[in-house]
Amino acid sequence: MPSTVDEASLKRKRAKVPEKPSKRTKHESSDEEEEDRQAEILLLEDEILKSKKNYNNITVLFEFAKSQHDPEVALFSMVSLCRVFLRLLASGNLSRKAGQSERETVVVQWLKARLSEYKKLLVSVLCEEQSASTALTLSMRLLKAETQTTSDKSESTFPKLFLKEIIGALISERFEDVQQEFCEKYLAEYADIRFYAFQALSDILSNHNTSSVDSGLFDSVFDLLSFFEGVPESTEDLGSLYVDLPKKKSSLVLSLHQQKKQCQSAWIALLKLNPDRQQRKRLLEIMAESIAPWFTQPELLMDFLTDSYNAGGSLSLLALSGVFYLIQTRNLDYPLFYHKLYSLLDDGILHSKHRSMFLRLLDTFLASTHLPAALVSSFIKRLARLSLNGPPSAIVAVIPWIYNLFKKHPLCTFMVHRVMRTPEAKAAVESEGMDDPFDENEDDPMQTKAIDSCLWEVVQLQSHYHPNVATIAKILSDQFTKQWYNMEDFLDHSYNSLIEAELSKSVKKPPVVEFMIPKRIFLPNDPVSGVEDNLIIKLWEFQ
Amino acid sequence: MPGSQLKRLKASLREQGVIGPQQSKKQRRKVAQNGKVNTNKRAAALDSIREEFNPFDFKHNARGPKFQVTSNRPALGDAAKGITGRPGDAKAIGEERRRQTLLIEMNRRNKTGGIRDQRFGENDASMTYEEKMAQRFVREKQSHKTSLFDLEDDEPIDGLTHMGKSLSFSEKDDFEETDLLDPEGSDSGNESGGSQRGLKRVRGADDVQDRDDENIEGEPERKKTKQEIYKEIIAKSKLHKAERQAQKDADEDLREELDQELSDIQSLLFLKPKLQSSEGNEATVKPDDPGRERMERDYDLRLRQLAMDRRAKPSDRTLTEEEIAQRDVEKLKELEDKRQRRMRGEELSDSEDTKEEDAHDTQSAPKNLGWFGEEEEENFKLGSGIRTRPTATELGFDDEDDFIVEDDLIASGSDLEPIESEDENSSAEDEEDDQDDEFTKGLLDETEARGTAFTKEFDSTRNETSTISSCPETLEQLLSISRGLPSEQIPALIQKVRILYHPKLASENKSKLAGFSRVLVQYLFHLSNASSSPPFATLESIIRHVHSLAKSFPVEIAEEFRLQIDNLASRCLSPTLGDLVILMAIGSIFPPSDAFHPVITPAMLLIARYLGQKISKTTTDFVQGAFMGSLALHYLKLSQRFCPEFMNFSLNTLASLAPTRPAKKLGNFPQHEPVPGIRITGASEAEIKKLKVVHCITPPSSELEDLSIRVATLETTLQLLDTASLLYASKPSFIESFEPVVLALSHLAKGSCKSQLPTALIDHVVKLQTKLHTMLTMSKLARRPLELHHHRPLAIKTAIPKFEDQFDPDRHYDADKDRAELAKLKAEHKKERKGAMRELRKDANFMAREKLRVKKQKDAAYEKKYKRLVAEIQGEEGREANAYEREKQARKRAAKRQG
Repeated sequence: MPSTVDEASLKRKRAKVPEKPSKRTKHESSDEEEEDRQAEILLLEDEILKSKKNYNNITVLFEFAKSQHDPEVALFSMVSLCRVFLRLLASGNLSRKAGQSERETVVVQWLKARLSEYKKLLVSVLCEEQSASTALTLSMRLLKAETQTTSDKSESTFPKLFLKEIIGALISERFEDVQQEFCEKYLAEYADIRFYAFQALSDILSNHNTSSVDSGLFDSVFDLLSFFEGVPESTEDLGSLYVDLPKKKSSLVLSLHQQKKQCQSAWIALLKLNPDRQQRKRLLEIMAESIAPWFTQPELLMDFLTDSYNAGGSLSLLALSGVFYLIQTRNLDYPLFYHKLYSLLDDGILHSKHRSMFLRLLDTFLASTHLPAALVSSFIKRLARLSLNGPPSAIVAVIPWIYNLFKKHPLCTFMVHRVMRTPEAKAAVESEGMDDPFDENEDDPMQTKAIDSCLWEVVQLQSHYHPNVATIAKILSDQFTKQWYNMEDFLDHSYNSLIEAELSKSVKKPPVVEFMIPKRIFLPNDPVSGVEDNLIIKLWEFQ
Repeated sequence: MPGSQLKRLKASLREQGVIGPQQSKKQRRKVAQNGKVNTNKRAAALDSIREEFNPFDFKHNARGPKFQVTSNRPALGDAAKGITGRPGDAKAIGEERRRQTLLIEMNRRNKTGGIRDQRFGENDASMTYEEKMAQRFVREKQSHKTSLFDLEDDEPIDGLTHMGKSLSFSEKDDFEETDLLDPEGSDSGNESGGSQRGLKRVRGADDVQDRDDENIEGEPERKKTKQEIYKEIIAKSKLHKAERQAQKDADEDLREELDQELSDIQSLLFLKPKLQSSEGNEATVKPDDPGRERMERDYDLRLRQLAMDRRAKPSDRTLTEEEIAQRDVEKLKELEDKRQRRMRGEELSDSEDTKEEDAHDTQSAPKNLGWFGEEEEENFKLGSGIRTRPTATELGFDDEDDFIVEDDLIASGSDLEPIESEDENSSAEDEEDDQDDEFTKGLLDETEARGTAFTKEFDSTRNETSTISSCPETLEQLLSISRGLPSEQIPALIQKVRILYHPKLASENKSKLAGFSRVLVQYLFHLSNASSSPPFATLESIIRHVHSLAKSFPVEIAEEFRLQIDNLASRCLSPTLGDLVILMAIGSIFPPSDAFHPVITPAMLLIARYLGQKISKTTTDFVQGAFMGSLALHYLKLSQRFCPEFMNFSLNTLASLAPTRPAKKLGNFPQHEPVPGIRITGASEAEIKKLKVVHCITPPSSELEDLSIRVATLETTLQLLDTASLLYASKPSFIESFEPVVLALSHLAKGSCKSQLPTALIDHVVKLQTKLHTMLTMSKLARRPLELHHHRPLAIKTAIPKFEDQFDPDRHYDADKDRAELAKLKAEHKKERKGAMRELRKDANFMAREKLRVKKQKDAAYEKKYKRLVAEIQGEEGREANAYEREKQARKRAAKRQG
């Protein structure tokens, strides 16, 4: 807007001021009707923009905006205030210029004070559920306008403080849809917002009192940070700039390395909050896919991961993928990795809900053909042992896995085929039978002597009650003609899926019916008849 | 070799003996006697000479004949002489064929209508006239035999004769005899042959035989005249007619005779009620004498037996006691064999394939080795019991109302073989007797009663069945019928329904009964859930009814059970009593030892799922688990299959119910921490009772009862483990499976636990412990290193190309079968295409030629006509001119004379 108009209207400002109260009363009299209100707000807004004299209308609008009893009017006046400030910012009325009179400086300062007041209002509104979304939009627009006009182009700076306030408001309360909106509309799209948001997050978190972490804060930050599933691959993927920044600063923002650095610091700040077990689990679940790739120095994750890995139980299982990531990319030397891995094979592993994830990883860890056969055979024997007590869905995954290992490590096949070479040994076995040389309690997979053992467990599983499991168990005694089994086909099963698979087949052929109709099913037979009771009658009393 | 063509011809003719020096009369006669042979020879000789002297009749290889070595097939016939084709002949044949087909079509073009000659062989030039006539006659004969019941056509075995020979057409037709078939045609025969024939015809009919023999030997071209043939045919048909008439008369006589006898038999067969009633009238003195009644029944039975004896085959003799026993043993053995095979899952026709398939299967269920597909070809005789049974009609009872006693309502195992006779069936019943006699007896009695006096039986059941207006096909209907009845009456009600809607009684009863059997399964569930202590005797009898119905309706009942299983799957971890009863029923109705079974397999999975996933919190949970465990063992008893979940659950029960916590880990099973207060404490005085099924759902009322139930559960678990140890004793991993059990037992027998438990229980624990100890050592002694891979070593893939012993450069040795096939097809297509084009071209040529010929003919005719007309006119004109000339001359002469 040209400044000459303002000069002209400045003179008329005084003249119009007296009219205002009368107008206001007139408007207030029609307070009841909403539309009148909105019309009034529009009128006020219009007047502000028309003349500098009407700047006091801003205060009126503020009053409206702060009024609690009518949220819609408050919202409307806020929108209108935003428009006013945007216009004022665009016309440069909010910036101090050289050669301005003192009175004008006072006006500018007053306006600035109003602006900061408005910002505070916005941030406070962000914490209210129903208007948070609008407030977010308004504040982001204000943020954009502010950067573009506050000073001359060459040294404009990103309003970090305002963004920090916005984010602080966002994470202090958990309005998931607003957060989602922020993530989708701004974080994902604009490189600068992302950059400064990460910065703000790390600032907020590091200033936070570490002793009192409330889970709400953790969850909000976690949600914000974990919004990014993948790391941008190149600078192009970073997205555009929300505000126009000078070249020097934009280059900083648009550098992938810098972005990663900021994100890393944000994550580290989050990790420093001392997350509890559940939070750790959440972190570990997305560790390898979403967190670690952001890190320019993944070594920083090492402590967290090793701590989690050593914690035992399901936490170790979850930490495994993160540790593996570090081993893979950072050449992390985890002492006694297989030792630790072996110790994870406890009695709960086949019953755990992370079973398939773990088996997938285990498959990867033991994929190398350079591993010693003694170690591989320990894993095989251990899992075979465990599957003796495992559910069918676990057995069907373990057996093909063993098969694949046998194909990779033919030395281990001694476990299914061991011919006694010397007559002495043969005689000894004949006379004394054979003890299982496998030492279950040995922690070191190299020392378990599993390689000298045999997989009797698998042979027992060949007579599993579920026919499919039994058939799969038989692949180990058949000739190894198949190159390998695709583990993915066997990993994700459960009792439910098995039962469904059985019940989904329709009965086409008449099924076999027991030939003899038993005389007694629930009640005991006459002892005279000489017919033996069935097991259940023997053990249970009906009636 | 003589120089000129003519000289060479003469020489070769002489060589072949076609021409020669004049023969004497004697020689000529001799030649004539040889007859046919000679003429044949002569014709052949002439042919070969003709061929020899026409070098253009053959197609030869352009580069001369092939060497013998190039082909491994010996050259035969023409090929031996280096002749690859006869273009002249081929052309002639082609031409002839075209004349027969294309020309006719051409002539018929643009013409409609006409007469189609459908007489047999009318257009077949290869048939002689006589052959045609013979064929037509045969055709006519055959077309007469349209009706199955045409008595007139029933020829006597001898059939018609002509001159002592049968005229029947079954073996050889008269007209087809060699004497009638003159392959050469009469014109080719020589004169002397004809005269000889003529002479022979003069001879009497008495030496027909001689003549025939002669004909066979040397006179093939003897021929009857048409007149003779017709006469013969007429004579034959007349004779035939007479014969038929006679046969008809004889039949009529026989029928009349039979009719007279039939009244007796009829009185036997159909007037039984009357007979009985008359007997009853006689027995009015003691009408309610049971002995009397039985005698009547026996009499009735005997009567039916007699009626059936008439049709019985001689092989159906009565078996002796030993034979029956032997047969029973064999049958049981066969059944057991089948069960064993099913248990091993051997019905899988190709287990290898399915496994491959299963591994390839990338879908969510890669290891669903369906039992369906594999079992397709296996024929379970048990399943088709109903169909192999003869129907009432087959048994000689045309009347459906005439209820057959032997058709026991319990579709017993006797349906393995068709039942032909009463006594056979009774033996089958005997065999059943030891299994379910009193179960079936009631039904049998009733059916018998029904068979004898339907109405009476109906009266006796009316009090209950009067409410049965229709066969209950939904659970609500059954419930509404059974509402007022005490549970003891329900089996009787079911029996009534089964009798009233027996499939034999009406055709739609089968589907009704199928629906009813479904309802029964639902009712089973309903009834057991209805109250906290359901009537197990009734349930048992319902299960047995369902079982016997399952033999007739296996699919329906299996589907219904699968539905129940599906329902149960959703609330698997908190089963109701009804679910337990259903699982029991499944275990007794279907053979649980089968490797694949559509009902057993999912049911077993459900049980295992309960045992595997249930974390027991209350006493009721433990009781339920113990029941599920016993169900699992009940299912797996015969097949001795291993159930890890059962071991886990039992061990958990031992660990959880033990008075103190075990000091160390018992085994590799996931051990759940019991809720406080569930451990047995201070039960040293408690009495060990048998567990009740109702405890599965009703929580114990008092603290004391709670304790005693827990003790009982512990005891039951011990017993279950005892049974399981027997089942799994021979398993290779018995040690690994049962070592935790021994640990748990020793923990129970330790001081801290011992004081809290009843002594009887501790005794049991110790006994089981020692037993397991010995079993473990036995198992250790029996354990051998695994030697699973004594397979034939796999051949290493060879890289040496395959050597063809008999390589043929003409053949294509394409390893890719599909490609070879395709190439072959393409070549064939190309060849055919070329051939077709050639044929079309030839056809066009032929048509052009024909058209030209016709045109020429037409032109010639026209020319001829034109010339004739011109000549005629010219002739006429000439005559007129001559007349004019003559007149002129005459006038001239006259004028001269006058002048």
